[in-house]
Amino acid sequence: MEKIVSESTSSTSADQVAVKTVSEIAMSLKDVAVSFNGKTAVRDATFDVAKNKVTSLIGPSGSGKTTLLRGLNRLHDLTPGAKVSGTILLEGTDIYRGDITVTELRTRVGMVFQRPNPFPTMSIYDNVVSGLRFNGIKKKSLLDEVAEKSLRDAALWESVENRLKVSAGNLSGGEQQRLCIARALALEPEVLLMDEPTSALDPIATLRIEELMSTLKERVTIIIVTHNMQQAARISDDCAFLLMGEDRAGELIEFDTTDKIFNNPADPRTLDYTLGRFG
Amino acid sequence: MTMSSPDLIIQSEELAEVNSASSSRGWYHWLLVSVSALFALVSIAFVGSIVIYSLPAWSHTGTLLTGNGWQSPSGPFGGLSMIVGTIETSLIALVVAAVVGLGTSLAIVFLVPGRLRNIISTFVELLAAIPSIVYGLWGFLVLAPWMLKSFDPFVNKLPFASAIFGSPGQQFGPSLLLAAIVLSVMILPTFIAISREVIAGVPNDIIEASYSLGCTRWQVIRQVVLPTAKIGLFGATFLSLARATGETVAVALVAGSVANAQFHLLYPGTSIAAWIATEFGEAQGNEISALMALGVLLMLINFSFSLISRSLVSRQRKALARV
Amino acid sequence: MTIIDDLIPQPESTSTRQAIQRAVHSHRARRVAISRVMMVLCGVALVLTAIPLVLLIIQLVSRGASQLDATFFTKLPQSPTLSSPNDVGGVSNSIIGTIALTVYASIMAIPLGVLTGVYLAESRSKFASTLRVIAQTMAGAPSILMGLFGFTLIVKYFQVGFSAIAGSFALAVLMLPVIALSTELAVRTVPDTLREAGLALGAKPHKVSLKVVIPSAISGIVTGCLLAVARAVGETAPVLLTVGGGYINQWRPLDPVSALPLTIYSGAKSEWPAQRVQVWGIALVLVAFVFVLSLSARIWAARKQKRNS
Repeated sequence: MEKIVSESTSSTSADQVAVKTVSEIAMSLKDVAVSFNGKTAVRDATFDVAKNKVTSLIGPSGSGKTTLLRGLNRLHDLTPGAKVSGTILLEGTDIYRGDITVTELRTRVGMVFQRPNPFPTMSIYDNVVSGLRFNGIKKKSLLDEVAEKSLRDAALWESVENRLKVSAGNLSGGEQQRLCIARALALEPEVLLMDEPTSALDPIATLRIEELMSTLKERVTIIIVTHNMQQAARISDDCAFLLMGEDRAGELIEFDTTDKIFNNPADPRTLDYTLGRFG
Repeated sequence: MTMSSPDLIIQSEELAEVNSASSSRGWYHWLLVSVSALFALVSIAFVGSIVIYSLPAWSHTGTLLTGNGWQSPSGPFGGLSMIVGTIETSLIALVVAAVVGLGTSLAIVFLVPGRLRNIISTFVELLAAIPSIVYGLWGFLVLAPWMLKSFDPFVNKLPFASAIFGSPGQQFGPSLLLAAIVLSVMILPTFIAISREVIAGVPNDIIEASYSLGCTRWQVIRQVVLPTAKIGLFGATFLSLARATGETVAVALVAGSVANAQFHLLYPGTSIAAWIATEFGEAQGNEISALMALGVLLMLINFSFSLISRSLVSRQRKALARV
Repeated sequence: MTIIDDLIPQPESTSTRQAIQRAVHSHRARRVAISRVMMVLCGVALVLTAIPLVLLIIQLVSRGASQLDATFFTKLPQSPTLSSPNDVGGVSNSIIGTIALTVYASIMAIPLGVLTGVYLAESRSKFASTLRVIAQTMAGAPSILMGLFGFTLIVKYFQVGFSAIAGSFALAVLMLPVIALSTELAVRTVPDTLREAGLALGAKPHKVSLKVVIPSAISGIVTGCLLAVARAVGETAPVLLTVGGGYINQWRPLDPVSALPLTIYSGAKSEWPAQRVQVWGIALVLVAFVFVLSLSARIWAARKQKRNS
């Protein structure tokens, strides 16, 4: 990876990250911290996620990226002893304390997981529309329409249009992951959270999903956790760098455009990471 | 890619055989094989001896399977009431235990907080190890009097009571219903132990996926957990059924050991296993053959349920492995 | 649903999104309510399960504990009379009988079962897989059939008559498949790397098995045997048809013996209240014994796992 240290830009990091207007912000984090049974796992997360852009969370393992991501759709509610503090806003509404239920939140903020996890007892079609069905939508014509649309957006339609009723287990790993993406997209979420979506896939499947994201972001805001910094450099517009501190809690070191993070970071630790000085 | 060790052992054993005519590995291998053969022999003798002793009775197969009334000491030996009793008590016990047991397993996995869960699971497994005679004792000395005092009169007042339960006014201590209840309490821990394991074995990531799509907790259970665990749950059902049909002393104590076929639950009755236990003490000659024949019936029932259960459980394991 | 009906499918993303959200909203209250009700029902099921089982334990302890005095353990049973209806003596004959039965059965079942289990774990032959199915089937068979087997073979065919050896045989047949399967499991759990290391050092396969694998699996094997013994102690049906019972402290193999479960069975039906109460003491002893064995087996297994990991 070529690194161009650009001397010509004299503007500071604050100028680089243009002040976003409220309508351009999908999610906003302020002093967000997550702890388990009193022990902090990640803290000091403050940044704004721009709409229709790809924001990546990068950093070595243990830096709390996934933990932070899972706070964004309140998945930690399922873990006893987990506590999320700070403010997380979705389109201006506090997702923990505001006028929004957990189930509504999760239909507006979707998630794709590290290992593909289609429902094993369901067909491809049933998997894609499962989110709609779970939420009470039954009209066949709408389900069919959404299924095709989501599968096309996930670049899977052509592979499966003739075998929609086949069990999802028959797909390859990369196809299963795209199925999971389609499943999440079917609910037309505003934000799509992706937790290391390609780390369990082979390079070709990885590439296909990366190509996907540049078209997907026109529909949804994407927040992606990745431990592969080259991937982050390839696909993301903004980047948050997290690092595990002395007390074994992750913290946000720097948030900026990807270009700035990789070419001219403000914090020396960010530079060390992007240069591969530690993993 | 290395070969697995058993392959390694057999291969090296074969090599050793080639290398020396009487290698010392011989005695160990042949010891194991002959002991296992002895085990197989015992098992075959197990089935064989019961079948052989039952042979005289099969000349009256019709009476055995459909006849009502068991006349010691010389016959006719009608097995209908034992068969009916076995079916009634086991089915009722199974339905109750499966419904309550499933709800309990779901509660253990989805409602009970983490630390308590381990304690409860251990407790359930200990309960499954309690000898059946103790359940029978409790049913006979505690439950039966209580039922006589409070439950039966209440049930007799319900509409349709006479059709299912027997004519109102009749009060027996021991009854088929009591046996069914005792059986259900007995197989509950077994059913819960297995179904809890199957439910907890549903991979966490598809559970998280369904929550992430906006499911409520019950939806996660109904739409994702139960369908995934379905096969294993059926396995638990058949295993519990196998156990229920084979229970001897508990049923013998509380069902009343009466051999006239009737369907009314508040009347005494018997089951195959219970009847063998009750009558065997004084049986001679032909009656022994007839009892052995009942034993063959029991064997067939139990082996089939056991087989079905095992194939279901292994299918469940394979299905989950693919995910 | 009328909201959706009104909707003309639009390619534009936002209105589909809004339509979906509207449908989601209109159904939410119902789904959440259903979820609450069902989870409450599950909780009710848990309580329903707990009630009879907890009641049973309470009855067992409260009625049985008072029976456990020195007389209980050391004296022979006595027939109560009208003048001394509470004079039931003790159950020493049943205790001795049960111990004898268990010892004889273990002598028969443990060596045979363990070796078979080792064979099952180490062999890939067709014979081994057939044997495994046989063992699994036998392990689930009703215990009364073991009683029938013991009767036909020992009591009748070998003409030994009702005796301790007949009962032990029936119990041994009960324990055999359980011991074999749990031994197989324990041996299989030994990591392959251990076996491969032994072979790589040039040791012959049988030596590796004897000196490396089995010692490593020993705790699992012992656990399995303990649990099988716990089960055998409490079984009534196999001994009912084979041992004959007795009222003296008897343990010789060829003579009839008494057994604890048997005494419960006959005592429960007795007309004498004192005998009916006494059996609670026996039941408590049995349950305590089974609990202690099972619990210690679990604790031992858990400790071994912690040490290995």
